[in-house]
Amino acid sequence: MNDSPSIIARAQKKRHSRALCGTVLSHTIVRHPPAGFPKQPRCIGLIELEDGSRTLGAITGAKPIAIGQHVAPRMQLMKINNAGLRTYDIVYEPTVMQHAPLHEKQKVQGYILALTGPSGVGKSTVNLLLSQVIGDYAQHVPIITTRDPKKQDKNEYSYVSEQEFQDLKDQGLIIAATRIPSNTENRWYGYQAKDIERIWKQGKIPTVVTEMHLLKDLSHHYGRRSILSCGLLPPGQSRRAMLSQLLHRLRKRGRDSEASIRDRLRNAEQDLIFFDRRKDLFDHLIVNEDLDHVVSILKRCVRKLDKLSTVQKPKEAL
Amino acid sequence: MERDIFLIGAGQTQFGERWNASLRNLMEEAITAALDDAPCTSLDVDIVVVSNMLAERVNSQAHLGALAASILPHHPPALRVESACASGAVALHTACSLLESGRAQNVLVVGVEKMTDTPSDEIAAALMGAADAEKDAPSGITFPGLFGLIAERYMHEYGLTREELSYVSTRHHERALKNPYAQFRKSVTSDQVSASPLVADPIRLLDCSPITDGAAACLLSTSCESSLKISASQLTSDTTSIADRTSITSFPATKDAAERAFEEATIQRSDVSVIELHDCFSIAALLSLEDLGFAEPGQGIELYKNPPADLQINGSGGLKACGHPVGATGIKQLIEVGRQLKQQKEQWGLAHNFGGAGVTCGVHILEHSIA
Repeated sequence: MNDSPSIIARAQKKRHSRALCGTVLSHTIVRHPPAGFPKQPRCIGLIELEDGSRTLGAITGAKPIAIGQHVAPRMQLMKINNAGLRTYDIVYEPTVMQHAPLHEKQKVQGYILALTGPSGVGKSTVNLLLSQVIGDYAQHVPIITTRDPKKQDKNEYSYVSEQEFQDLKDQGLIIAATRIPSNTENRWYGYQAKDIERIWKQGKIPTVVTEMHLLKDLSHHYGRRSILSCGLLPPGQSRRAMLSQLLHRLRKRGRDSEASIRDRLRNAEQDLIFFDRRKDLFDHLIVNEDLDHVVSILKRCVRKLDKLSTVQKPKEAL
Repeated sequence: MERDIFLIGAGQTQFGERWNASLRNLMEEAITAALDDAPCTSLDVDIVVVSNMLAERVNSQAHLGALAASILPHHPPALRVESACASGAVALHTACSLLESGRAQNVLVVGVEKMTDTPSDEIAAALMGAADAEKDAPSGITFPGLFGLIAERYMHEYGLTREELSYVSTRHHERALKNPYAQFRKSVTSDQVSASPLVADPIRLLDCSPITDGAAACLLSTSCESSLKISASQLTSDTTSIADRTSITSFPATKDAAERAFEEATIQRSDVSVIELHDCFSIAALLSLEDLGFAEPGQGIELYKNPPADLQINGSGGLKACGHPVGATGIKQLIEVGRQLKQQKEQWGLAHNFGGAGVTCGVHILEHSIA
């Protein structure tokens, strides 16, 4: 294998996507590893990671591995090339923790439509239009928050105190939570399982207009396959162009102070990085250039989910 | 097929460790044999298609098309194709396309690999080029390792035992006894297979096809006729990394190519009497039989335990015992199918050749007119 620094550098950029726990799908012991690797037999597994992707990776430890074994990632020195360049990579270590069996986690209780995008991209506008078009099929999941009610809030929030929020979270009733820290606000936002499950019981599709941490939590709790996840991006060829587009929109909206806009922009940058890094969490990335177009794509998604749910659920539940 | 394409000449070298023969010598030997077998002369060749995987890396020789053309007196146009172990099938498919388009009337297809000049660890590294260099190789996996993963999973899902798997190589060695071109004309018992050294658990040395020198050539024609006609030529591909697949105990590329080939030839599986399938490792033979549709999933081994009377599987000894000169294998399979059909006076035969872990797959169906 070619060990040029540029190849190693490119590989390192992608490494974080494999730094996840997973389950061994198959394994082998390569008795004669290729040149450059340590000479001793090398255990290698095909591993299904938590995000549903699969990877080939070395498995450490002396114990024999079995299919279904849960493994966790860690960094290890892989090889030292002739020029003395030390390459580290992710290896997987068997863990005693028993993971929820794969098939149980993949059982779909129902579907959720998630719309994720940086602040100012137009999520609320899209959601408003969407609820007019597909109100019969879908229902918005209220966000539970510790922040104070604001004038422009529609009925998308339910308000609790910080203590109440923590209690609900500790009891496992809030299944997705995030704290948005900034100079201007420091608030908790989250979703309650009962809100989502209530909408399922009504035979509708819960819709969330959300951000990256909440999306990750939802995907973890209900399983990635339960979520039809759409990312909403501002127009622009580069991240920089997208951010200036957002800045323009936030200023035009005139709701926030300059300080708050700066905060929002910084969060938006993180969101855009997240879109790049966690492509696996999105089914569709939609550029919000033309509202009608965005709404029509989402409408199609909801119709699709509605059909799927109808097949899944017994008639009387509808 | 858009036109009637006939296999009018075939020839191959002895497979094995050919220390006295170079890459060019091997090609010359196979081309001469194929032309001697054909009703036309070397000057009738319109274009040469060369199939080879490793020459740049292990023989320091690129430009194989021209090298092959230089063997013919009139230096016809020539090209080389590479698709790892499926290079042979891809070369045949390319030749069929040239004939179907009318661009050529006689195409010489020659597959060649010269592997034993190079240390085996270097060969192993070169063969790993058939997998995904960014996704697979950095883990330190080898090619036998990929099939080790497949075999382990297969055994887990279907309960195949080590003893059962060993039948596969035993049968292939048994059949190679009758093939004068085979690399290993000696039998091995299944106990010997089960006791051979581990290469990549559970794959053992005698589960693996060997490193082989060899060449095979055939002449395909729309202007001359013979009793062997190509009735289907289908090519498919899949992800280069097995990590991007939903299952590793079945190769969709094989399934797809087989479906399309049977449709193109308008025959049923039960019509086929001879198959040469791709058994780079013993476990691959079982996957191939199942994906081609000759056995239910998990049942491929039954055809090795109790060989059916009406279906000859790898009569040449397969890749395991006949040898696996990578670029030559796909061509050898087709000419073997033709030879066996003639010998047994049967009508339909199938050649199945894949590259990587079921990444590129080619299926060819040959019809023998018995009259």
